[in-house]
Amino acid sequence: MMEQYACKYGGFLKCKNLFCEQGQILSEILHLCSDIIEKIGKGDTSQRIDLNIERYAVRRLIDCINRLSKEIEELINLNHELAIGICEHFDVLRRLQRGDFSARASEDSHVEMVKMLGQLINRQRERFLEYIDKLKEQHEDLVHAYEQQNAILSSVGVAICVVDEDMTIEFINEEAETLVGYSKKELEGKVKWTDFISEEFLNKMIEYHKLRRISPSLAPRQYEAKIKDRNGKTKDVLINVALIPYTKKSIVSIIDISERKKIQEQLIHSQKMESLGMLSSRIAHEFNNILSGVLGFAGLLEERIEDKNLNNYVKKIIEAAARARDISKKLLTFSRKEEIGQLQQLNLTQYIINFSEFIKPIIGRDIEIKLNLSEHEIHYKIDPTHLEVILMNLVTNARDAMPEGGEIKISLKETFIDLEYHYTHPLVTPGDYLVLCISDTGIGMDEETKKRIFEPFFTTKPKEKGTGLGLSTVFGLIKRYNGHIHVYSEAGKGTTFKIYLPQEKIKNSNSISIQKEKLKGNEAILIVDDELQIRQSVSSFLKEYGYEVYEAEDGKKAIKIFNENKEKIALCLIDLVLTGISGIEVMKQIKSINPHVKTIIMSGHPVDFKDIKSIDKSISFEEILLKIRNILDGKE
Amino acid sequence: MADKLLDYSGLKCPYPILKLSAQYPQFKEGEIIEVIADCPTFEKDIKAWCSKLGKTILNIEKQGNKIKVTIRI
Repeated sequence: MMEQYACKYGGFLKCKNLFCEQGQILSEILHLCSDIIEKIGKGDTSQRIDLNIERYAVRRLIDCINRLSKEIEELINLNHELAIGICEHFDVLRRLQRGDFSARASEDSHVEMVKMLGQLINRQRERFLEYIDKLKEQHEDLVHAYEQQNAILSSVGVAICVVDEDMTIEFINEEAETLVGYSKKELEGKVKWTDFISEEFLNKMIEYHKLRRISPSLAPRQYEAKIKDRNGKTKDVLINVALIPYTKKSIVSIIDISERKKIQEQLIHSQKMESLGMLSSRIAHEFNNILSGVLGFAGLLEERIEDKNLNNYVKKIIEAAARARDISKKLLTFSRKEEIGQLQQLNLTQYIINFSEFIKPIIGRDIEIKLNLSEHEIHYKIDPTHLEVILMNLVTNARDAMPEGGEIKISLKETFIDLEYHYTHPLVTPGDYLVLCISDTGIGMDEETKKRIFEPFFTTKPKEKGTGLGLSTVFGLIKRYNGHIHVYSEAGKGTTFKIYLPQEKIKNSNSISIQKEKLKGNEAILIVDDELQIRQSVSSFLKEYGYEVYEAEDGKKAIKIFNENKEKIALCLIDLVLTGISGIEVMKQIKSINPHVKTIIMSGHPVDFKDIKSIDKSISFEEILLKIRNILDGKE
Repeated sequence: MADKLLDYSGLKCPYPILKLSAQYPQFKEGEIIEVIADCPTFEKDIKAWCSKLGKTILNIEKQGNKIKVTIRI
């Protein structure tokens, strides 16, 4: 019977009355409750029991299940919202951490903590962004500062190099690139600064480097050294080193003082030659006076001594004294005190061609002479004797430098020396020059020899072969013409002498010749000078231009001549220094005789008298004549 | 064809999406993954998760009590 009316839920309830309808309903309700609880347990909280049962116990059960389902549903929803919120914020944080600042956390969660977490993340994100913006601004400022610093370092005009503690080059500017001949790429982080320092300075420099790291005051901040560039060229430099604060690096500024040193050397050399010139001149004068006596008296003795042996001794004295006089003469040439001979407008091109033909047999067959002359002929106003002495000395020196034969090159050209050259060679004034160049392929010379080569009595030749006056004579002669001589030499390779002669003189003579007609006149002029040579040369020059000339060797005679010819004499040319009455006094007395007469005071050096016309005797005759003409014409 | 399959069967919600959140950063953006779970609330969770994190659901397939969701990361 039990099976026939079995409950469809499996007979959980022991109902004694098999036909009890209530029993069957209760059983179904309980099974329904079990199903719902099972579903809730699986997480399905959407289930509700919607039955209206009268029995209180059953109704209470159904209410409890429905309430439980609802509470669990709320808990599950909270749990899910919490989980989703955490997932979302986790993802936003992860993106922010990766630098994706477009990520924003939502702030709409019903769970307050999740909502606050979202707000916190967003605020943190904004703080980050503000911080990043500030960093960007600071970075931009730093970049600008860095660029400005780089611009300063690049345009400062001084080579700058930043070196690490181990001397590795970290930075160099453009000037430094030019100085050493390497690019930034080749140097920065790759090469040590010490690689460029000349060996003789290296130890000193490393010592300074170490001392500076102990205390900066222990090493000099600035010192001179030599560096070698890419081509192996040595450069004199002034180095200035300072440590960079908060680092172990140093900043090195390098100034190339090679040119400055060269200029200094030129000036020192010039001063030395000037002093030597003065000394030589004085000695030569003194010796000349003594030698005049020796030669004069020896000459008298030679005439009077008949004994052949004794006469022979006297001849030897005369010969020795004559040699000494010759040396004195050369010393005077060196010191530029020797009187200049007759200047001639020479065709230098032709002169050099002739000279090379003439010298060929003298220098020997194993030496070849090559000429390199400009196509057009070059003319120059020079004493031919001087030119011969210059060429002869330089060519014979070249020959002596090539005992095993070689080649001598003589070149002649015109050039213009500009201001740029003048800056590096301040003793050479800008202008037109002709350049005479004599090169050999001989043994050359070292730096020390080169420095002293023009000094009188300096020679590298054996005692009997050279007096040491050849090149000093050449030097003196070149200076006489306001020229310059430079020597370039390398041991084992050869030597080149470059002579620069200013061409101004040619232009002057041309300009004067144009005005020649204007210089002529027929007035009477009185010349007062106690130096016969000057008086006669000025006199003959004036006569050549048509003037009538009176001469007086002192003031007394001058006043007498003027008195006798006061109506005729239009101008008096009076030397400032006269024996007896002074030139100024002579002028005053002449003026008292005829106040209208024109007067000019001559002096050995430029002077400036108030209200008195004066001229410098060292100027050319043409210029003296021009001055006379202008004064006679009332132009001055 | 998915690049990766993540099987969260047997895990109750919200564990599947918590695990997915921890694992998905290993995938590249644009990659396609399949996630399987058998929790009845998973579908709701995965939809909310995709919506919040900006991922695209390509397909939802129910196989018995299991659900397979295809997502583009």
